Amino acid sequence: MSPRKKLSLLASVGLPVLFAVLILLQSRIDQTASTEAPEQEQLLLSSPALIKRISFGYDALLADVYWTRAVQYYGSRAGIPGSQFPLLWPLLDITTTLDPKLIPAYRFGAIFLSEQPPVGAGEPELALKLTQKGVDANPQDWQMNATEGFLYYWYLQEYQKSSAAYLAGSKNPQAPAWLAMMAAQVVLKADETNTSEMIWTEIYNSSSDPSIRGNALKHLKGLQASKDIKVLNDLAQKYHEMNGHFPANVDALVQAGLARSTPVDPSGFPYIYDADGVAQLNPESDITIQAGPVTPPTIYNK
Amino acid sequence: MSSIPAVVAVNTFREAVRDRVLYNLVFFALLMMGAAILVGQISVGIERLLIVNLGLSAISIFGIIMAIFIGVGLVYKEIEKRTLYSLIAKPIQRWEFIAGKFGGLLLTLAVNTSFMLLGLFAALLFVSHQFQSSDLGIVVAAYFILLQLALVTAIALFFSCFSSPMLSTLFTLGIYVAGVFLKDIRDISLLTKSPFVGAICKAIYYLLPNFQNFNVIGLAGHGEPIPMNLLWQNTLYAAVYVVILLIASAVVFSGKNLK
Repeated sequence: MSPRKKLSLLASVGLPVLFAVLILLQSRIDQTASTEAPEQEQLLLSSPALIKRISFGYDALLADVYWTRAVQYYGSRAGIPGSQFPLLWPLLDITTTLDPKLIPAYRFGAIFLSEQPPVGAGEPELALKLTQKGVDANPQDWQMNATEGFLYYWYLQEYQKSSAAYLAGSKNPQAPAWLAMMAAQVVLKADETNTSEMIWTEIYNSSSDPSIRGNALKHLKGLQASKDIKVLNDLAQKYHEMNGHFPANVDALVQAGLARSTPVDPSGFPYIYDADGVAQLNPESDITIQAGPVTPPTIYNK
Repeated sequence: MSSIPAVVAVNTFREAVRDRVLYNLVFFALLMMGAAILVGQISVGIERLLIVNLGLSAISIFGIIMAIFIGVGLVYKEIEKRTLYSLIAKPIQRWEFIAGKFGGLLLTLAVNTSFMLLGLFAALLFVSHQFQSSDLGIVVAAYFILLQLALVTAIALFFSCFSSPMLSTLFTLGIYVAGVFLKDIRDISLLTKSPFVGAICKAIYYLLPNFQNFNVIGLAGHGEPIPMNLLWQNTLYAAVYVVILLIASAVVFSGKNLK
């Protein structure tokens, strides 16, 4: 065998073996690293102005990178008990400084910041700061005013300011008619479930992103459940008047002719009654009733 | 009008193709395909925007790298390989050689940019399933990038006439970086209390090529209209600057003792 053929043979056998050794070594190194103290995630550069300056004119692309990083940062923590989001605001601030017209970063970033932990950072004031930055940079975009109005309504419960934000957006010639309607409604019916439903429905309809639509749908299901529970509590009182005791379960309402079929929540789980005839969500249900401007039914204050 | 610059240009283009310069298109295609598939899964609400920003930025970065690294060797390589001597023995004016070399690299960059633009549109179609009228802005942005590349090529060629490739690369890169930060240099003139420093900053602002003029990637990404006036202003700006640099290159190269 010629030396060249020998070398080829050695390479074709030896290289895969060496790569396999590398893979094994790397997984060992990963295991060792994971036993060390978890690495604190940090921002190497935290000044938005400096980052914009050193982007060499590729600030639009860098904004996309930072926004993706913010989404990944949020997504890797959202919903995990004990999660904190210290870098969420700096990442969003950098993103929107690099590209002040990046509307998704304002709209979705505001929701990420506002939601209560562990779903979000629980920082509605920072969300408002972000949105106001968006309003200043995009005066022609009514969606920024709608987001500001929503933040004031849902998270901060400042209905006059919410109405003012919706009103400002409604003056935009491209704004849909519901914005002006919201301006009136949030002031008049601040604590009504229907108003909340209308806002979350608009958020659901105006986004094509599955995570945002999923979050809106979750809120809508929660609102529907809180309405159902109110009705079920009234029916329990009626049942008590008829039978002298509270229904043991929701099927008893059907047997008593107070309901046509077993009342189920929007996820399909039957509601349950406690001993005092107070309706509750089934423990197996994935629905949660969120905090918000809607006054919770009195049963939740017990 | 002499056809010699065109002949030199075509040969420079052929040489670039022979040197497998256009292989970068494969990398670009992979980048766009990867981005188009991945972006929807790792980000929110910027699928189309990222394709446009990434595509145009890649066209610009790849183009600048090519313009600098090929541009600085255009003349130097011919001298080093002694192929220039057989050329100048023929009835070719030195300015014709310079113009041809510039034209050849610009042709290479134009072909490269066109193919990349096609790739960008293919990725865009994959992500958003349809084109919009505002996508025309992407073509304008790519044209501005090409103007920018013409300027970088002319700068690299100028330095290539009297300096080594290493130094020419440093000089060209230095001018490019300064050209990106010209707005900041102009702002110094507004902040400083020294009239001398202010005048120097202003002079630098107007004398160095302003590469920020050609940056409309953000506007194209958001589908916002690009002012039509910019089209002729930038074209004229780049053309005048390129002519200045080519004349300077021809003067330097004509005075060069090649014996």
